[in-house]
Amino acid sequence: MQVVVIGRSQVINSRILLCHECDLLIENQDVCEACKVQCPRCGHILYKQKHNTISRSLAYALTALICFYPAVTQPIMTLEMSGLSQQQSLISGSLILLQEKYYVVAILTFLSSCLVPLFRLLLLTYVTLSITLNYYHKSLIWSFRLFHEMEEWGMLEVYMLGIIVAVVKLLSMAEIQPGFGLWAYAALLLSSILATTVLNPHEVWDALLERKTREEPC
Amino acid sequence: MASKTITPVLPDKIITGKEAGLVLCTECHKVHRYIPDAEQECKCCGAELHQRKPDSINRTWAFLIASMILYIPANTMMIMNVAYFGVDEPSTIMGGVILLLQMGSHAVAFVVFVASVLVPLFKMIGIMLILFSLKYKVNMTDRQRIKMFRFIEFIGRWSMLDIFVISILAALVHITGVAEITAGPAATAFGTVVVLTMLAASSFDPRLLWDYKRNNYKNTELNQEPAAD
Ligand SMILES: [Zn+2]
Ligand SMILES: [Zn+2]
Repeated sequence: MQVVVIGRSQVINSRILLCHECDLLIENQDVCEACKVQCPRCGHILYKQKHNTISRSLAYALTALICFYPAVTQPIMTLEMSGLSQQQSLISGSLILLQEKYYVVAILTFLSSCLVPLFRLLLLTYVTLSITLNYYHKSLIWSFRLFHEMEEWGMLEVYMLGIIVAVVKLLSMAEIQPGFGLWAYAALLLSSILATTVLNPHEVWDALLERKTREEPC
Repeated sequence: MASKTITPVLPDKIITGKEAGLVLCTECHKVHRYIPDAEQECKCCGAELHQRKPDSINRTWAFLIASMILYIPANTMMIMNVAYFGVDEPSTIMGGVILLLQMGSHAVAFVVFVASVLVPLFKMIGIMLILFSLKYKVNMTDRQRIKMFRFIEFIGRWSMLDIFVISILAALVHITGVAEITAGPAATAFGTVVVLTMLAASSFDPRLLWDYKRNNYKNTELNQEPAAD
């Protein structure tokens, strides 16, 4: 079971694929246009050949970034009770929890519903915009890595479900009015989901590494 | 646009990247030659290269045990207090679900029950089963194991639901003297449980499941594994 690898470079550029999930070695796999390659052992998608995803992803990411501002600053909901009213926005929950000295919960909420999604959108915009404008800088590589690594910790969609549950819990107790922030938030959620699902990371890596090798071969 | 999916033929003689002395960069998907006993970095993207995640099983156990310990206070202590015209009404996670049932919101009660009780429980038991099945011969097919792991990775973040609900309620119901909702100590415990179970899942290397299968069939004639269903 010896695999002979020709060439002295550490990076193997021949047609060898390794499965991300089961480490199966596939040799001489032709990567065709407009198709996906699936691992025959575990079913993981090894490679996607889908082009022109970067500019579409950039459009969605920019839309999401524009929606971010009203989603954070405008009230998501207003509660009315006994003639008094109270507003809630994306960050007010974290601030209240911070005041009540629930630091872990406050930071966790702030990170997963606000900071991580914002940071990921900024990284995505930076990477996709740079590729579109044919600009290259070393920081693009780690930006895209970081974007990928933080994926799990941005939880905008879970927060949306949280809003629904909170409304149901309060319905019997008080009157709730949706605010402009809610619509901005919904638009933010939709466009950020589209920005990540539309994107083919393989295409981004191909583009980034192609630009990198112009400066120093890898 | 629907794209065609190509599944290469599973070779007669299965060779893994590790056996061939290769290592995959999990970030940029470039294949490298593995240099043993050296700290290797991806020449393309700078990520650390490991044939398998280092210390995967021990780390997973550590996060898992910590999350199991915290799961107890998360469920027994007060997660939220509702003060309505000066009357305190503290509730636990299960208490909140029962309250929703009494209000007649069965669908929402079910969602909260799944996200805050079933998901963490299923996740902890699932990871434990996978870890045990690697150590002892537990009767479990590979298909079950892989599907379970993928499912566990996918559902984990949804248990943050209860934390978000508390933060929204605490911000919204904050009218002093009339109605006030505040978080309880179980919220900290529960939030930590969610983070720990997510860390447990991400420190586990799924390739170990296939290595295990391989070690058990190594002596068969063709070095051929039984097909994964
Ligand atoms: Zn595979
Ligand atoms: Zn790499």
